[in-house]
Amino acid sequence: MARLEINSVSKAFGAARPADGLSLAVEPGEIVAVFGPSGSGKTVLLRMIAGMFEPDDGDITVGGRSVVGAPPERRGIGMAFQNFALFPHMTARDNIASGLRAGGNEVASRVAAISKLLKIEHVLGHTPRELSNGQKQRTALARALIGNPDVLLLDDPLRNVDAKLRYEMRLELPNLLRRGTAAVLYVTQDYREAMAIADRIAVLIDGRLAQVATPADIYAQPASVAIARLFGDPTINLAEVSPVAEHGMLSAMVAGARMRVGAADGLASLGACWLGVRPEDLVVSSASADDAIPARILAITPMHEKAVLLLRLADGTEWLAALPPDAPQGAADDGVFVRFAPDAAMLFDRATGLRIGPSHRLKAA
Amino acid sequence: MEHSSLAGRIFRGVALSLILIFFMFPIVWIFLMSFQNNDQILRIPPRILFEPTLANYEALISGQLRTAAGNLQISFMRNLFNSVVLSSAAVLLALLLGVPAAYAFARFKFRLGETIAFTLLSFRFAPPLLVLLPLSLYYQELGLNDTYFGIVWVYQLIALPLILWIVRGYFEDISPDIEHAYRLAGHSWREAFTRIAVPLAGPGIAAAGLLSFIFCWNNFVFALILASADKQPVTVGALAFVTASGIQYGQIAAAIVLSVTPTLLLALYAQRYLVEGLSLGAVKG
Amino acid sequence: MDMLELRGIDKVYRSRGKPPVHAVRALDMAVEKGEIVALLGSSGCGKTSTLRMIAGFEDVSAGSIALGGRRIHELPPARRKVAMAFEGYSLYPPLTVRENIAFALKSAQLSRSEVTRRVEEIARLVEIEDILDGYPRAISGGQQQRVSLARALVRDADLYLLDEPMGQLEPQLRAVLRGRIKSLLAERGMTAIFVTHDQTEASALADRIAVMEGGVLQQFASEKELKGRPANLFVASFIGEPPMNLLDAEVTRSDGGFRLSVGTDMGFNIGGAGLDNAAAKALAGTPQVRIGIRPQKVAVGTGDVRVKVVSNQWLGDQSHVAGDCGGRMLIAVTPGRVAARPGDTIQFALEPHHLHIFGSDGSCIRHAEVS
Repeated sequence: MARLEINSVSKAFGAARPADGLSLAVEPGEIVAVFGPSGSGKTVLLRMIAGMFEPDDGDITVGGRSVVGAPPERRGIGMAFQNFALFPHMTARDNIASGLRAGGNEVASRVAAISKLLKIEHVLGHTPRELSNGQKQRTALARALIGNPDVLLLDDPLRNVDAKLRYEMRLELPNLLRRGTAAVLYVTQDYREAMAIADRIAVLIDGRLAQVATPADIYAQPASVAIARLFGDPTINLAEVSPVAEHGMLSAMVAGARMRVGAADGLASLGACWLGVRPEDLVVSSASADDAIPARILAITPMHEKAVLLLRLADGTEWLAALPPDAPQGAADDGVFVRFAPDAAMLFDRATGLRIGPSHRLKAA
Repeated sequence: MEHSSLAGRIFRGVALSLILIFFMFPIVWIFLMSFQNNDQILRIPPRILFEPTLANYEALISGQLRTAAGNLQISFMRNLFNSVVLSSAAVLLALLLGVPAAYAFARFKFRLGETIAFTLLSFRFAPPLLVLLPLSLYYQELGLNDTYFGIVWVYQLIALPLILWIVRGYFEDISPDIEHAYRLAGHSWREAFTRIAVPLAGPGIAAAGLLSFIFCWNNFVFALILASADKQPVTVGALAFVTASGIQYGQIAAAIVLSVTPTLLLALYAQRYLVEGLSLGAVKG
Repeated sequence: MDMLELRGIDKVYRSRGKPPVHAVRALDMAVEKGEIVALLGSSGCGKTSTLRMIAGFEDVSAGSIALGGRRIHELPPARRKVAMAFEGYSLYPPLTVRENIAFALKSAQLSRSEVTRRVEEIARLVEIEDILDGYPRAISGGQQQRVSLARALVRDADLYLLDEPMGQLEPQLRAVLRGRIKSLLAERGMTAIFVTHDQTEASALADRIAVMEGGVLQQFASEKELKGRPANLFVASFIGEPPMNLLDAEVTRSDGGFRLSVGTDMGFNIGGAGLDNAAAKALAGTPQVRIGIRPQKVAVGTGDVRVKVVSNQWLGDQSHVAGDCGGRMLIAVTPGRVAARPGDTIQFALEPHHLHIFGSDGSCIRHAEVS
């Protein structure tokens, strides 16, 4: 039972600053996903915790004790790597057992237990070369888990396995990881994986934590436009607007149509904003209305059991709408009208990119 | 490529044979020479068919060289023994020093690291004689002249850079994550080095060792200048066949055959490693 | 009219000392003009070999290829009038992005202003206008892939071949670029074939999808058809994200129809209108079948199948709920949030008319009734 705490950790490589004052705490038994675009510093953070290099500044503690400066083997950390990093000259069994220092019967029984859990009992005698990618990945996980580490670091472990296996593991992993009491940091580049697996998500952008919150909160209330763009497939639609208050509601001109974009909460106007609307929150119909944006369907691209429409709004902006499979879709080149509910609209400050939604005052990350 | 015509296949066969003959000729010729006496060798035109004699080998093994000018003592077997001792010891020492050094150069960035590595390699560029003359003076002062240790030491100029650069490439090919994983499992860096890095670089280390053994074995000038008769390897010992009554081609050929055989067998045995090693670890599981 | 016609294509790779590899077997396929076709399959299924044979980088071992009525399988690649975007991009490093794209237009002998216009038009489409004067090594992988796409699409060709065209694209751009490219291809009536292992990409872009496995074309149909009427068990389990739930069921006769029992926990009565003669005959002749139901068709919170929740994951726009029913895992996907925690017992509803039924040899006995 040990808490992982990262306190204002910074690291620079020349001009690059992959970690810039990072602070994050992970409770025992909690899974925190570190999510961000490539090059945002996810892997650097993991490697500083593992002791592959030391932070320039700040402290990392496990169970209240600082691990900075300690060699990797004394930090009580288990890790699974993106490229598996199995020992090619050892069998799967020896790979897994290498995670245990004690000898004797205990090793055999623990290897048996963990490999049963991960369903790799039948390949224990194989060398990594003879394993499929899925089996390699499970072997690497078994090796990381077997020592019951205080802190478990998973560096994009599902990156190199095929889609079907990745999906299976996405369902299986949270239960596996919660069996122990390790504080788990899970790095991924796939927002769906992060949402599926983690209790909380730490969004890392340019070496800084942009938001730390539960998956549902981040999706519904992203702290900035950059975060909103990272969550959701298809990506959130944006438009430049300057909302003004009208009968207690904020409204804004979007491609020639006046759209209501949320409660005014006593504000008169908001200045230059980004309006964000998720593709699944758009309603597309052939019937005209006052509060509907005229648009033309450019293409229909089915995706994840939905119909994704690429729309060109009257002012030339391209938006995407994701419709349920049974909704009428129309055809390419049709003229349509697009609407959305006021509470589906998100507003972000144009200058800072920060969310300024009137109904959801931003909580500092 | 799979549908090559008959003419194409014949052409390829002929071309391959020509290349093979071109490269194999000197070796085959010397092998044949080693079973002839001087008269047969110097006959013009030379003949492919001759009556083979084992006299050359007898002379080498017994140490008695009969020439027109009389009997001569030669110490070819002693030279052969010296070659084995010197080359093995040099390679062993170079491996002990070079493998950890190669690991350091591959894994850590440190000040002057590249400079040092390159300086070591540059020893291979310098003409040996340039180094040898001043070196022999120092050796005389230090009492290292004409000692096994002195020659083994100077052989490091040959073996060390070779091992360092080949093995370094191999270490660089091993994902550092593999060693990280081993360390996180509770092992020190020494264990990660001996249990993970060295076994994985095994083929490269073997290849580098083999190559440097061959280079040491074939070295001539170092031992020529720094060693006297009883420490000389075969390469220098062969000079004894240039006698007052002429050059003993038959014995030279036999000596070459005997001295090439160990390295040739070694190379054949380790051919797979050698090719892998020379492609600098391009093949990795 | 058929633009591209593949007839009896075989591809066998022979290398000395190894058994020959039969990469493509007896492939027949016709692509209409203006159609977008995806070759979909896992690695080693023969899709890339097929593409390379059409492009002319590989010989056909048997069969013929016709493009626009011309027999092309014996022509060198340059004379086939095909444009190709390579998976590894293959950009020319010494040329700028602009020159790379313009290079593809060299043989067309266009005026300088026309070349500029076309390059800029396609650059706008794939969002690379601001890197037109950069060099390939200075741009990211996603940008290189977009340049490679632009270089293929800018040409005038009878056929466009795209090898994994979007695998490396930035996730934020993917959906919109798919839409734009689909719209461009449709607008100009361009015929395109692309290879992908990603079924999301295949269903988003393609009019028809050719599903390949083990060198054999399993089914060549629209996405709707593949999902609703899969030709066999392979296609059924391969197409669909997440994959179809598959269960072993025992067949018994019940009044006027059949009962499919899955262990003691689930049972389905099939018969009457939902069963044609051939299907009834097949069911009567087999004691064991595999039944499949798409996760999207499993209703959560109602029904008579009681499951223990293994995981309940909210992805922002849909929930994935995995439930254990007597040791069998069932997955349900619903658009809303589900209030259940792992360990809870909830109900799933599996309607008989949503079931696909397969014989033990993988052949299809009955499709789900399209709702």
